[in-house]
Amino acid sequence: MKKQQTGQSMDRVDGRLKVTGGAKYFADHHLPDLLYAALVCSPISNGTIKSINTTKVLRAPGVQDVVSHLNAPPVPGYKNSDPNAKDGLKIFKDNRIYSNGQPVAIVMANTMERAVYAASLVEVQYNQETHYTEMNANMGKAFQNNRMKDYTRGEADAWKKAPVTIDATYSLPLEVHNPMELAGIIAHWDTPDSLVVYAKTQGVKNVQDTIKRLFQLPEQNITVHSQFVGGGFGMALRVWPLEIATILAAKKVRKPVKLVITRDQMFTLVGYRPAAVQQLSLGATADGKLTGITHEAVAVTSPYEDFTEGIVAMSKFMYACPNVNTRYKLVPLNISTPIWMRGPGEATGAFALESAIDELSYKLNMDPLELRILNHADTDPEKNLPFSSKYLREAYQLGAEKIGWSNRKATPRSMQEDGMLVGYGMSSGTFGAFRGKATVSATLKADGTLILQSAAADIGPGTATAMVQIAADVTGIAPAKIKFMLGESAYPFAPQQGGSSTVSTLGSAVTDACKALQQKLTDLAINHVPAFKNAAPETITFEDGQLQRAGQSEKISYEAILQQQQLPEVNVVATSQSGEERKKYSMYSFSVHFTKVHVHPATGVVRIKHIVSVADAGTIVNAKTARSQMIGGVVGGIGMALTEEAVMDHRFGRFVNNNYADYHVPVNADTPPTDVYFINKKDPYINPMGSKGMGEIALIGFAAAVSNAVYHATGKRIRDLPITPDKVLDEKVYQLETKNKMNS
Amino acid sequence: MNQFSYVRPASLKAAIDAVAKDNTARFIAGGTNLLDLMKSGVVIPEKLVDINRLPLKDIQLNGNTLHIGALALNSELAAHELVTTHHPLLSQALLAGASQQLRNMATVGGNMMQRTRCTYFYDTTMPCNKRSPNSGCGAIGGINRMHAIFGSSESCIAVHPSDMCVALAALDATVLVSGPKGNRRIPFTDFHRLPGNTPQLDNNLAKGELITAVEIPANAYTKNVYYLKVRDRASYAFALVSVAAALDISNNVIRSARLAMGGVAHKPWRLYEAEKALAGKAPTEENFRDAANIALQSAKAYQHNRFKTGLSVNSIQTALLKAASV
Amino acid sequence: MPQENDQQNHPQKKEKHEARRDFLKQSSAMMALALTPPLVMKAAQHDEAIAGIFEKMPVSMEINGKKVQVTVEPRVTLLDLLREQLDLTGTKKGCDHGQCGACTVHVNGHRINSCLTLAVMQEGKKITTIEGLANGEQLHPVQEAFIKHDGFQCGYCTPGQIMSAVACIREGHAGSPEEIREFMSGNICRCGAYDNIVHAIMDVKQGGKTV
Repeated sequence: MKKQQTGQSMDRVDGRLKVTGGAKYFADHHLPDLLYAALVCSPISNGTIKSINTTKVLRAPGVQDVVSHLNAPPVPGYKNSDPNAKDGLKIFKDNRIYSNGQPVAIVMANTMERAVYAASLVEVQYNQETHYTEMNANMGKAFQNNRMKDYTRGEADAWKKAPVTIDATYSLPLEVHNPMELAGIIAHWDTPDSLVVYAKTQGVKNVQDTIKRLFQLPEQNITVHSQFVGGGFGMALRVWPLEIATILAAKKVRKPVKLVITRDQMFTLVGYRPAAVQQLSLGATADGKLTGITHEAVAVTSPYEDFTEGIVAMSKFMYACPNVNTRYKLVPLNISTPIWMRGPGEATGAFALESAIDELSYKLNMDPLELRILNHADTDPEKNLPFSSKYLREAYQLGAEKIGWSNRKATPRSMQEDGMLVGYGMSSGTFGAFRGKATVSATLKADGTLILQSAAADIGPGTATAMVQIAADVTGIAPAKIKFMLGESAYPFAPQQGGSSTVSTLGSAVTDACKALQQKLTDLAINHVPAFKNAAPETITFEDGQLQRAGQSEKISYEAILQQQQLPEVNVVATSQSGEERKKYSMYSFSVHFTKVHVHPATGVVRIKHIVSVADAGTIVNAKTARSQMIGGVVGGIGMALTEEAVMDHRFGRFVNNNYADYHVPVNADTPPTDVYFINKKDPYINPMGSKGMGEIALIGFAAAVSNAVYHATGKRIRDLPITPDKVLDEKVYQLETKNKMNS
Repeated sequence: MNQFSYVRPASLKAAIDAVAKDNTARFIAGGTNLLDLMKSGVVIPEKLVDINRLPLKDIQLNGNTLHIGALALNSELAAHELVTTHHPLLSQALLAGASQQLRNMATVGGNMMQRTRCTYFYDTTMPCNKRSPNSGCGAIGGINRMHAIFGSSESCIAVHPSDMCVALAALDATVLVSGPKGNRRIPFTDFHRLPGNTPQLDNNLAKGELITAVEIPANAYTKNVYYLKVRDRASYAFALVSVAAALDISNNVIRSARLAMGGVAHKPWRLYEAEKALAGKAPTEENFRDAANIALQSAKAYQHNRFKTGLSVNSIQTALLKAASV
Repeated sequence: MPQENDQQNHPQKKEKHEARRDFLKQSSAMMALALTPPLVMKAAQHDEAIAGIFEKMPVSMEINGKKVQVTVEPRVTLLDLLREQLDLTGTKKGCDHGQCGACTVHVNGHRINSCLTLAVMQEGKKITTIEGLANGEQLHPVQEAFIKHDGFQCGYCTPGQIMSAVACIREGHAGSPEEIREFMSGNICRCGAYDNIVHAIMDVKQGGKTV
């Protein structure tokens, strides 16, 4: 028997294209008569456009046109919307400016250089109004969205009555996804009512659907290509105004138009992780049993949309605690709308919860690992359901062993090596294990190759590679003869790549499509192949791309069946989705993160020296790409913990570090050796593979593992991310200030 | 970027003429800062004069003096045996800056000419006296975590971003310049300026003057040196503060010391008082602390960079300890 | 080595368009006084029509072993020439300001950021991009190692990482994982594949193959 493909460290099926420069991302496409576009963006943060003067621009060489609210083609979908509804920024609809960096015009020219320069010649006058961008100064405007109601289990604020309590405020700054690939689109109206786009997206069907709704076109008139995507982390989960602007521009000039935005525009045009302030309160008995958790969060959103996410979700079910209450509010500011960023709200919430648990452990004089195990939730206390699978205890133990947790001395600031303070920290993370609905087309060719198609995306995890492995195991066809095709709107429906659900959703559909294909081959064999005549279908097995009847030696290959019947191919289409199991079980992935840090006592510089992350994510389909997912999430977590913060000058409403030099995404030297372990036990209920998700749990909780380690190293608790050297530095050093003149 | 013309003069004289006679012309060498500024609309030259092919790349000993051509690449210089042997502090400082790709492009002269990273300077919608005289300083009263604690003025609190220059300031280097009026030599520490009320002037070059070389005199700082750079990420980031420390220690006595800081002033900031305080003392933690405290007496912090005073004291002390291998 | 300190000191002389430019610059400066963004944006920049008088320039270089002769505006960067005019789209734009390394190529054997150099400055230079690294169908050892160790996820920074990694080994900066981490820090990978990239480079280095 052939070896099982699932679980192997198979190389990526598109690896060769990626290492040779052959992988084509949206901006790598060239179309005849292509025009290049550049955006003109607002330098004011609230107000209206008074006038736009394009005289100089239109005189400039190579410039084709400038499109703004003054001359943009109509968007039929705008008309149907309720003017008071908070349903997004309608680009070029009117002269209203809601936030700094909002596009006010798009310039097209025959070369990129000319377009970029011409954009700087557009003269825009504004009526400026007072803007509000500072969260803390606008807490009075906080409101509750209907999607996020207060939650209470047992008694609210029960923590107050507990003998041991923690009540602390944790804050996270605004973070920006900043995928390496700049956002943009190529839009081409090949007829007045049919559109082709090359997009950067986590879901081609979502792009198609958005365009369909806005331009009121039949679905078949909209073609979306997105073969390779240079990272998304959530920012490509929706169609942004910049894409609609380009589509409008292309409609006006009736030529293909390519827009690639600039790095600074990535801070204002394609979402971000919202800044959040959280109050986390814990109550426990003297021996460490949690008696109350209260988690209140306030996060920012735009004036024109209420963005909500799962900030307070984890606190409801992570620990066995009889009394839990949560509250979640939004503060609208003159900034653009946030969007889920890897780990999304759960990562924000986990920083607060997992830091507070750590704080409680010190107050109880108890090992933080022991405290977590003591309060382990064996069943889901929120939904009152059993978990479909949960190996968190095993993960804690494995991680502790691999990092050398037993070397940790309990007292903060008690460990040193090489002149550095040493700290160990840990945390846990969790995220829903989802399964959506997807359709896969499976075509077996007469040469024995299997072609699978679905309108899925791959922003990096290796979708096609995992799907080939799953299909290989179901059909017995060698991976080299299987091709999984994605990134085309013409393929059958697949949901967006988000929420750690691609393997679960798409893998299930691949499984079902392959099984349907086998059924069809079985029928063909029973009806037409003499050796299989009148066989009971259940007596037929599939191995190595061949059918065999139980108890008989004769085999027939898939391609031989097709050739005998003179069929060029056999095609099936299967749709797959979850069933009743989701009502019976609570489904989550879990992770634990352990870190060892060095803190330089004189400069406050933190260096992570070793990381151990363990995932309970069900069956691992590809050990190699799964590891990459995990280390990638960890690097995102390093950024959240130590380096990332979009800083705004609120006088202007403008970000002051809107570039890769000053917004510090971790670099190679920030990352230590990282050991990843998988529990790799099948979830018996979630899907045929038994795989739960991994993309989010790789990051969720990680920042707390770092801040907890920094506390252990220094005795200083930092509740305000990122942990930059100035925050770590001993306050004593500031005493110098009194000797020196201080200016504010 | 605006459109501009491009010339590649064959001689030093032709290059100098091209810039001296055209107010809109600029020299371009590595281009790593100039093109960045042009893309941001901060600098808008109408002519670029490419000097890369001029014979100004040599790195050699003239007697005891190390002569470094202005077009020597930062990466070449960092790895050059004469530098690692005679001036290891310079090598350390060079390697602390930017990335290997940028060091492969950036020249010694260009590194000296690089402009501040102050966000208000870069963002053309913001006020900035350096970019646009009399428009105001965005950083005073704005976000000034990265800004100066020494030598700032009411019109500018920007810092010079170089690491290399901090080492050159410490090592008593001299800048060789050619211009329309001939050649001259400028002590390195007099090359860059403090902002005063003319922050648009980064340095003391006259129009059309071109840096041709930097020279470092022989010194005893070959062993007890250390360049410490404190930054928000482990590499590829500008300094919060940096310290170039060089000690000449004999029989447990500091014969002389050289100290300079980066990330704290409009120019590489030499710590003369602290150097004086160290001379003749033993290389002890306490003496280093005292010297560091002396260095910070003239510091003046702003709203977000208060931490730099204490961080500077600790960093000076740490760099000295490392240099002394105590 | 740009020199622009005395812009304000020589306003007179010269032709009309330059005087006009100076005027616009001053007016822009005045508008910024109020500590608010100027309401008329970018007025300081002069008219493209005037700048249009500047000619395109011929430049010849060797790219991936082939002689290439093109005519470009001086403002075209090497990166944009490769991507938009020569269809060598393997080299990527991640920031356009030398802050990410996605555009790394080799010029005369040295790794550089192609976004921060002009095409016209490459006259006579030998340039290697990711498309020129493999020997026909035979991948370069670093390319093979990146596949084996999964030194990427989305793949967008990968061409730059690989060009940088090859140079890192050739320079002698791949002696230890720590050294590799430092000398590969000019290449950002937002997917966070760094640990695998280090493994890939160590593997090639220890394998002893010629790179």
